[in-house]
Amino acid sequence: MTEPKRLLIVDDDPDFVAGIKAILDTAEYETAVAYNPKDGFAALKARRYDLLLLDIMMGRGAEGVMMARKIRKDPALRDLPVLIITGIREQIAFLFPGQAVHPHFVPLDELLEKPVEPELLLEKVGALLQAAEARRQKA
Amino acid sequence: MMDTARILVIDDEEIVLDSCVEILRGDTYQVATAGDGQRGLELMREFRPDLVVVDLKMPGISGFEVLERVRTADPTVVTIVITGYATVSSAVEAMKRGAYDFLPKPFTPDEFRLIIRRAVEKRSLVLETIALRRERELLREHFAAIVSHELTAPLAAVQQNLFALERELAPAATEDQRSRLVRIKTRVAVLLQLIDTWRRGVSIDIDAIKSQCAAVSLRVPIEKAVESVLVHATRKAVEVVTAVPDPAPLVWGDQGTLAEALVNVIGNAVKYSRVGGRVDVTAEPLDGEVRIAVADAGVGIAPEDLPLIFDAFYTAQPGAAGERGSGLGLAVSRRIVEAHGGSITVRSTPGKGSTFVITLPALRDDGPGGPRHGAEPLAASAKEGRR
Repeated sequence: MTEPKRLLIVDDDPDFVAGIKAILDTAEYETAVAYNPKDGFAALKARRYDLLLLDIMMGRGAEGVMMARKIRKDPALRDLPVLIITGIREQIAFLFPGQAVHPHFVPLDELLEKPVEPELLLEKVGALLQAAEARRQKA
Repeated sequence: MMDTARILVIDDEEIVLDSCVEILRGDTYQVATAGDGQRGLELMREFRPDLVVVDLKMPGISGFEVLERVRTADPTVVTIVITGYATVSSAVEAMKRGAYDFLPKPFTPDEFRLIIRRAVEKRSLVLETIALRRERELLREHFAAIVSHELTAPLAAVQQNLFALERELAPAATEDQRSRLVRIKTRVAVLLQLIDTWRRGVSIDIDAIKSQCAAVSLRVPIEKAVESVLVHATRKAVEVVTAVPDPAPLVWGDQGTLAEALVNVIGNAVKYSRVGGRVDVTAEPLDGEVRIAVADAGVGIAPEDLPLIFDAFYTAQPGAAGERGSGLGLAVSRRIVEAHGGSITVRSTPGKGSTFVITLPALRDDGPGGPRHGAEPLAASAKEGRR
């Protein structure tokens, strides 16, 4: 068997994280959690992850957007696929006027609304990991 | 209370300036003085006073004019006039023009201190009122977003754990336990949907729509709307087929709210479609208008319900899969469409399906003057909307 994929969840709601993590754990992913963007960014710098699951509304506002911008600026991280999981679709569109419903933060990202059905979650996670793999092989 | 009130005294008599500074020494005020109106107005900008005390009778710019210009520069600054020749009439005139109080020369230190203290209190109240008003505005603007986030976040966490628990417990759960889990999930989902619709309903602001209007190709809001109902449609195996001519018709409108209006109508079509059904979304230009038709072959609407479906909080009989609406969606759509100077109508045959038609004024492609054609009906409809 290949090594399990390592995922990082960054979300400030521990109960929501528990619900997501439980689903990912049943699919044999190795998941780590950070409950704020600062710890999340530190975790990303500390070791390699295959995918980031990122909440948008954290702390005092859209701190997830700031974290996504930091990731985009970081050459070591910008190829990390990001699954944005948020409760506020319209407000994101508002933050990025002129863009379609789904704003692209990094080359590989997807957007899901909370709550996420398990099948949809696993499907998106799988698809993003595969897309990242394909990009790596091309490069 | 303010920490340190800044007081500007404008008087051509140096002795008055000196005594004012002297009287207020030791209090927690910052005092600046000016010997004429010109210098006073300069200091108004540099010193940013809370209070301006001005002599009415000065050479150069008159006290009245200084008063006027202070008011224009910052109407929240509290002004006091000094009336040299002890005429009540000029003091009254100054107060009519917005001065807070007057001080007849000669005045005692106590009189001066008292008037200054009252004026500083007045200034504090003015500032406090402004701050509170701003806070209230901010709250009103963001109320819907704040409330819906506060309500949605915990519900989303509950639902996420129900999803997870259902998977974890599935192998061991009895039929009854499984069905109860499904029912709780449904209840939470309905609640989440209700909050979302409510938020969208209250955040429809006709003035905001008008200010955001631009030339919009209908392809964009239609595609956005279809994208957002796709998950639901796929689950019900309902096919959503769009037919938009190329190039797509242009309208003068707000892309976001137009998509919103369409989401409600197309979402409804999916909701009341039978499993495996089909929803057709077509757009076509017609006599200076654009018609968007959303047709389903679903359960249809009873004739007696037809006149009511665009009213807020009216909900139809449960849909094919027992689905119910919040009763806000179509009311929101109508408000948005009418804010764009358009209309929304419906034809329906019970058991056969319904067709909703949204008609919007087309944007005529005649150069920079184009948008004006669209903007006019918009203004007319806003009036209608308030009836």
